[in-house]
Order: sequence, then structure tokens, then C-alpha cells
Amino acid sequence: MLDQARMQGREVALDGLSMRFGDFTAVHPTDLTIRAGEFFSILGPSGCGKTTVLRAISGFAAPSAGRVLIGGDDVTALGPNRRPTALIFQSLALFPLMTVWENVAFGLEARGMARAERRRRADALLELVALEGQGDKRPAQLSGGQRQRVAVARALAVEPAVLLLDEPLSALDLKLRQHMRAELKAIQRRTGVTFVYITHDQGEALTMSDRIAVMNAGRIEQVDAANVIYDRPETPFVATFVGEQNVFEGRVESVAEGFAAVATPQGRFRAIDRAGLAPGEAAAVMVRPERTAPAANAPSDANRFTARVERIDMEGPYLIAHLRAGDAAAALHVPNLAGAAAGLTGAVEAAFRPEDAAAFRPGGRARG
Amino acid sequence: MAELVRAYGRGLAAVFAGLTAVWLVLMVALPMANMTKRAFTLEIRDGPSAQMRVELERARQQIAVIDFDIAAAETEIARGSAPAAAPSPSDPFAGLTGRASPGMAAPSPGGGGAEPPEARIERLRAERAEAVAAIPAMAAEVERLRAGEDARAGLSVENFTTMSPLHWRVFGLTFLYCVAVTTIALVVCYPVAYAVAQAQGTGRAGLLLLGLVVPYAINELLRIFAWTMILANNGILNGALDALGVIDLEGGETIRWLASNGSVFAVMVYAYVLFMVFPIYNAIETLERAQIEAARDLGASVWRIHRRVVIPHAKPGIAVGCIMTFMLSAGSISVPGLVGPGLHPDWFSQIIYRNFFEAANWNVGSARALMLLILSTAFIIGVMRAFGVGVKEIAK
Repeated sequence: MLDQARMQGREVALDGLSMRFGDFTAVHPTDLTIRAGEFFSILGPSGCGKTTVLRAISGFAAPSAGRVLIGGDDVTALGPNRRPTALIFQSLALFPLMTVWENVAFGLEARGMARAERRRRADALLELVALEGQGDKRPAQLSGGQRQRVAVARALAVEPAVLLLDEPLSALDLKLRQHMRAELKAIQRRTGVTFVYITHDQGEALTMSDRIAVMNAGRIEQVDAANVIYDRPETPFVATFVGEQNVFEGRVESVAEGFAAVATPQGRFRAIDRAGLAPGEAAAVMVRPERTAPAANAPSDANRFTARVERIDMEGPYLIAHLRAGDAAAALHVPNLAGAAAGLTGAVEAAFRPEDAAAFRPGGRARG
Repeated sequence: MAELVRAYGRGLAAVFAGLTAVWLVLMVALPMANMTKRAFTLEIRDGPSAQMRVELERARQQIAVIDFDIAAAETEIARGSAPAAAPSPSDPFAGLTGRASPGMAAPSPGGGGAEPPEARIERLRAERAEAVAAIPAMAAEVERLRAGEDARAGLSVENFTTMSPLHWRVFGLTFLYCVAVTTIALVVCYPVAYAVAQAQGTGRAGLLLLGLVVPYAINELLRIFAWTMILANNGILNGALDALGVIDLEGGETIRWLASNGSVFAVMVYAYVLFMVFPIYNAIETLERAQIEAARDLGASVWRIHRRVVIPHAKPGIAVGCIMTFMLSAGSISVPGLVGPGLHPDWFSQIIYRNFFEAANWNVGSARALMLLILSTAFIIGVMRAFGVGVKEIAK
């Protein structure tokens, strides 16, 4: 089975690709290389142009400029039916009037394969996605997760070199979504097909992807592995769009050894300089709430600030203490252990390490 | 019903139910029942009973004439004592005192006196008795014949079986023509409906639809007349051909477009095109665009996309469009009447029309109409079978 499912993933390259619709530029000129056989996600808020990039790769939209290369071949001029790609639609777009196996085998039917062979292949693919024996049902008789898997099997049936997924999990409930993440990842590993996954859900992107491209307003801001994106964001947008940030705005006092010292109304904070800041410049220091903690056990060089606890939210595994320090709102995450919330009342002193904080120029942050 | 009451209250629900009942009974059931009854009732107009009745009537008139003659003869006898044979001038109304005017009396009183009035009365009385004696027998004969005819007429399929071979041929041809019109309309309308349904942006689709609908604001007869203007011998089409130098109108060279199958088809497709476009458009419009894209992405050709994805989805719409176009063209009287007179054979609807309004033979007309109804119903069932759609899907 595993050998049968093995396919040949290929590299996708965007060479100066740009997409304009009238006066509106959906995608600014972009260079991007997606490696063969990797699980690649394009993460961004709605309207950032990620779906347009996907449609350019699949061939449904013609680029205004630039080229699309798959496995080194220029496919810019080819239609979607002639590219070695398969697209999984957000709505799945299963054919409701065909049975499940006919859905899966549709691409093979279009290639003129004999019925018996089609059925055999469809059954093998249904096994791959754990839907044995469901071939004669209609899509409407399946559950949401099962329909999802039919869509995957249908796309894999044509043995694509690149599988494009357009937010296919957005319609599922949370548990199913988490389950499907693991399943998609496993299918990707087993088949070796290049997955290009479009999503606005950072959780999906972070858990599944080998690499993530974060997109904003038609531009790719950073392409990196999940941990790099999360821990070392290069732009204020990436920093604030992926995960949460406490933000303290102020003015740079000095820059030394890659660290900037920023004077803010909440205190003088040292943070990694991510923007090549100069003294005197306005800056924003960002630190994640889970790297912010009550100051009791903080090392001596930690940045400290005092704040008032406004309320404590229960998140399950951890508690979120919402703080107010002057004009700035901040939060800190406390593991949900016995007595964790005990000291979190009134005025508290919080601290974070300079290595966990980043200084950017203000502006360009994700809204939210 | 309970749901209606809950949704609209007792009063409105009663009004709905009442209107529905009125519609069902007065508009559907009663006319249909009447037509069916007439269709199966033979009305014998010149059968033997009718001839016998004419003879009976004649005999009765004969008796009346004899009565006149007897009365005249009696008047003569009454005046017999008077010397003058002619009415006396002093008594100018003498002739009016009798039961008939003198002029009506067959033999002139002064007519040579070949037969004396007494003898004439005798003869006339004998004749009258003979005639009166014959009447009951004739009346009985009429009744007997009528009874025979009624027995035959009461419930009869003769209105159907006596249809002439020519009319059967027209019946068959009408069916074939209507199938052809439906097919042509489908072939023309499917791409149009698909294009409109797939048009990007509501503006373009709206414009396309408007372009289709606006011509239908014009009365159907005018739309057909517009075509006769185009297709006439000295019409726009021949004029255009003349301008292009294909034919020479001045030299009397014309192409006869009217009164041909082709023009009847063309005009009929035009006349009923919307009834095909709209159901198909509505059906295709509900097809998720992503399904077409998915099929394309999986490598399907345009033909396969339509055969496997679009047409199966649009089936109910196609079935409704075919049924409507077929029914309308089968019942159409204006198009073949205006475009096709002359060379083109009659449409069956024209035969029905003439039976009702020219021959005034409603029973035969009803029979023909019933045949057309059965044909249409058979077509509907056939189409629904062929497309594998039920009433439920069509209702959608």
C-alpha cells in the first residue's frame, strides 16, 4: 500500500509572480521556492492574496507578470487540466450526484482509464484515506471528515506532483480539525507529494508545515520553519499575526551587540534588534505572553514592569492574566497548576528576558 | 392544511383552500370532464334518424296543406248557393273569413270547375286520413332509429376512430415537428443558459438576461409578425441577400422563406426560447462553480465536464424546459398559422381550432384536443423517465 501510494513530489517556483485585477494589486511581484515533497503553508489574513497565489499555481488565474515553474518546467501558459497539480477546494466541491468511488476516480475517467481499473485504484485510494467500503455511498451520506478525505483521495488519484489545499479544514469542528491535521500530515509523509496549504489559521500552519510563508497585503513577509516564524519573526506583522504579543512602544536609547535598549513609559527594556534600529528612533518592544512571567524568579538582567491585573481568563492548560501598565495592555500566561492564580491580584511585577523580546519599528502590525 | 392555518391563521387559510378548490373544480376538473365527455360522445348529424325526421316533418307539413285546401273547399261550398264564383266586391273581406286566404287554395274556384268542391273535400279527407295514419309509424321509426343511434352514440370512440388518414398524418407530423422544435431549442438554449449562469459579475448576467427578456415584453403575435416581415418574399432577409448580390430582387428572383418547415421551426424556437432558457439557467445557476473548476483541475475536457457534472445537475431544468417548449409548440396556433400557410402542412392545433370554430363540431374537436393532451402527457412522462427525474425534482 505504502509503495503504491508513493508519488513524486516536485518543486514549485514563483518567479516574479504578480497578480493585478484592474487597479488592485492582489499579489506584488513575488519570488518563492517550495521544495519538492515538503508540506508548505501560506498563512495570512483573509484578503492577503494567498488564495490568488494558489490559483496562479493551479492555473485558474493567469499571472499579470512573472512565471510559475513546477519541477523546473514553465507551466505559466498551461491550463489547470494540464498542470501536474491537484486542488482541494475550500468547499471540497465533491460531485454530489456521483458515488464516492466515482468521485475519487473522476480524474482517471478523464484520462480514459477502463472502469474496472478505475474502481481498483479508487478502492486503493479510499483505503489510503481510511474509507474502505464507503465507495458506493454518495458524498452526502458521509460525515464532514469523511468528505474531507474523499476530496484528498480524489485529488491524489491523478497522482499530482503538487497538491494544493485551499483552507479545506475551515468547515470542520475543532476536534475533527485537529484530527484531520494529523491525518493530512501523515498522508503527505506517505505519498511524498508537495503540499501547498493555504490557511488563515496559524494553528494549522504551525502544526503541519515544514515551512510557512506569512503573507500580508499581497506580499510574503517571511518564509521559515514554524519554530522560526514563531520565535524569530522578522517583521512586526509576522510577530503579531502569528501568536500573541505584548507591545510596549517607546524610543531607542542605545543599540549594542544586536540588542536595543528602548525607553518606554513602562520601563527601559532591552530586546533583540530586528529592524536595524538607530538611537532616537521610535520602536516597539514585543514579547509573547507565555514568555512573560511574574518577576519573582526572574534573572537579574530581565526586563521588569509593574502592572495592575484587570482580570484572569481561564484558557484550560493555562491562565491568561490581563494586565494594564499605563497606556499599554499586556498579558501573561500562567500554567494552570494548583494555586497558580493566588498572587495574581492588584499590582504585580512582571518580567521577561531580553532574548525573548524583539524590537521593531512601530506600525505594520496585524490588526486584532 | 394544519400548517397553513398555523402560518396564516384560520381566515386566510380558508381563503387559500377555497380559491384552490375553485381553481381545481372550475378551471381544471369541470372543463376536462366536459371535454372528455364530448370527446367520447358521438354526435350523428346526418344519420338515418335525421333523414327520417325530415320526412316526418314533411308529412306534417303535407297534412297542414291538405287542411288548408279542405278549408278552402268548405268556404266554396258555403258560398255555393251564391251565384258568383269570385269573391263579391261588396264583401271584400269574404276571403279572410275563411281559415286561409283564398290565394292559398290550390285550385282556383273559377278554374273550369273540373271537380265539384264536395268531391274535392272527399278526396282531400281521404288523403289526409292516409297521411295522418302514416305519421305514428314514421314517428316510431324515428324513435327506433334514434334509439339505435343513441345506443351507438352514448359512449363511443368513433370520434377517434373515424379520423381521416390525413389527420392522422398531421397528428404524427405535429409530434415529430414539436420534438424537433424542442431539440433545436435545447441545443440553442443550453449554451446560452450556461453562459448567462456562468457570467462573471451580476451586471453582465443581468444584462444578458435583460437582453433575453425585453423582446418578450412584446406581444407574441407581433413577434411572429416581425418574423414574417423578415422572411417575406420582399422582406428584410431577401433584401439583405439582394444587397449582398446573392439574389436579384428586381429581376424577380426571390427565395421563398415563408411557408417552409425551416421558417416555422425558426420562429417557433424564437417564440418559446425563454421557456427553455429560464429553467436551465435556474438549474445551472445553483451549481457550485468550484465543481466545474474541480472537474477541470482533474483534467476533464469541456465535453466531459458538461456530460458528467453540469448536465446531471441541470437535468430537472432541462426536463422542465423541454416539457414547456414541447407543450407550447404542440398547442401553438399562431406560429404555423402566420408563418406556415401554404406549403407547410397543418399543425394539429389548427385542425382542433377548425373543428371548434369553423365546423362547429365540438365533440370531434374535443376528441382531437384530448388526443393532443394524451400525446403531451406521454411526452412529459417520457422526458421525465429519460432524464430520470421525478415530480419532486421538477418542483424544485
